[in-house]
Amino acid sequence: MGMGERWAMNTDLLRLVQWLSPAFPTGGYAYSHGLEWAIAQREVADARSAGRWIGDVLRFGAGRTDAILLAHALRGADLLALTRALFPSAERRMESETQGAAFATAAGVDPQPLVLAFAQAARTLSVEHETVVALYLYSFAANLCSAATRFVPLGQTEGQRILGDLHPLIGTLARDATVASLDAIGSAAFRGDLASMQHETLDVRIFRT
Amino acid sequence: MNLPPSSLRRLEHSQGEAHVRMKLQSGATRLADLRQQGSAKAILPRVGGVPEVVFLNTSGGLTGGDRLDLSLALEGGCHAVATTQTAERAYDSGGSEAVVAIRHSVGQDGWLDWLPQETILYDGSSVTRSTEIALTGRAGCLMLEMVVLGRAAMGETVGRLAFTDRRSVLRDGVPVLIDPLSFGDEAIAAGAGSAILGGARAFATLAMVGPGAEDTLDVARGALDILGVEAAASAFDGKLVVRMLSHDGWPLRRQVAKVLNAMRGRALPRVWQI
Repeated sequence: MGMGERWAMNTDLLRLVQWLSPAFPTGGYAYSHGLEWAIAQREVADARSAGRWIGDVLRFGAGRTDAILLAHALRGADLLALTRALFPSAERRMESETQGAAFATAAGVDPQPLVLAFAQAARTLSVEHETVVALYLYSFAANLCSAATRFVPLGQTEGQRILGDLHPLIGTLARDATVASLDAIGSAAFRGDLASMQHETLDVRIFRT
Repeated sequence: MNLPPSSLRRLEHSQGEAHVRMKLQSGATRLADLRQQGSAKAILPRVGGVPEVVFLNTSGGLTGGDRLDLSLALEGGCHAVATTQTAERAYDSGGSEAVVAIRHSVGQDGWLDWLPQETILYDGSSVTRSTEIALTGRAGCLMLEMVVLGRAAMGETVGRLAFTDRRSVLRDGVPVLIDPLSFGDEAIAAGAGSAILGGARAFATLAMVGPGAEDTLDVARGALDILGVEAAASAFDGKLVVRMLSHDGWPLRRQVAKVLNAMRGRALPRVWQI
C-alpha cells in the first residue's frame, strides 16, 4: 500500500470516528434506549448491573440486530421496511428515526432510521465493514455507558471500565454480523423492549427514550 | 426391529398440515375449503357471530424432526378468529429441530384474530417457528404469542433451548411488523438479567395491526393490572404492541385474557379455558 492510499484510508477512518462522536449533531445524549426506566426502578443501580444491562442489550437485543442490519446495508441491501417493521415500541422508533434524520442532515445523506443513514454515509468509505460495524456498536454502547455514568450515577472511571469491558463482545458481534443472514436477526432482550414501553409513562423523564 | 429409545424417537417424528380457506357468502364468513393431513387438524365449532377456526396437533407435542404447517386464508371482507385446541408442548428434541410454519392471509377489509394458546418449551427443546399474517389493503389483525419455559409448578427448569420464533405481519407484501424472538442456551443462561427476562418464565406479545389499532392504547393499558404480571403497551405506525411477562404461565394467561377482553369487547375463543 502506497503512502497516498494509506492516507486516504486513514481519513476515511477519521470521518467514521467523527460521525460517531458525541459531538456530531446526532443528538444521542437525549436517548437512553429504556435504560432510564431501568435506573428509575433501581434495577440498574451500580456499575455491575449497568454493565450487564448494556451488555445484554448489545448481545441479545438491538446491538446485535443493528449490527446485522448495518452489515447488510453496507453491502447495498434495501432494508427500510424491514428496519421500521423491527421497531419494538414508539420510543425506539423515535430514537432511531429522529437521530437518523439529524445524522442525515449533518452527514448529507437521506433521512431514514439511524442505522441505515449511517450505512448510506459509510458505504462511500474504504473501511472494512467489520470495523464500521464495531465502531457503530461502540458508539451505541458508549452512549448508554455515558447515560449510566450520569444518572445511576457512576464514577467516570467506573463508567469507562464498563465500556472497556464490552470491547471483546463488540468485536465478536461485529465479526459475526458480517457473515450473518438477515434471518439470523432475533432478540431475547424482552425486558429491554418492555423498558422502552414503560418509559413512555414514566412520570419524571430526563431522556426522550 | 430393536432400536434404542433415542432412535425410535427420531423415526417417529410427525408431520401435519391443515389449510383452511373462508369466503364471504351473503354477508357472512363461511368455510370455502379445508385440507388437512397427518397430525394437523382444523375444526370449526358452531359459534354465534364471528366464526372460529381451531387448529390442533394430534401428535401430542413437538419434538425433533416434526413439521407442522397451518394456514387460514380469509377472502375479502371475512372476519374470523383462529386459535389452537390446547397449549403446544415442545419436548426434548433429541438433537434435531421441529419446524412450524403458520401462514395466514386476510383479504381487503377483513380481520383475523390469531389467538393461539401458549407454547410450553421443555428443557432441550428445539423449535423454529415462523408466523406470518399477510394483510391486503385495509385488512387488520390481532396476533398473540405466549411462551412458557417449562412448568414452574412441576419444578422444571430450562437450561438447554433452541427457540426461534419469528412473527411477521405484512401489508400488500411489505413487512409492517416483525417480532423475531431468539432464545438459545446463552440467552436462557442470561435470562435472569433485567434486560432479558428478569428471571420470568412466561412471556407474551400481543400485536394489533390495522385500522383503529393505535386508538386502542388506553383501553389496553387500562387492562394491564393482573398481580404478578409486568406489562406495558405502545402504539405507533398503525400498530398496538403489548408485552407481558410473569413468573409462571397462569397469571400471564389471566392477563392475556383480560387485555384481550378489553380490546376485543367480546368473549375469548371457546376452547380457552380460563
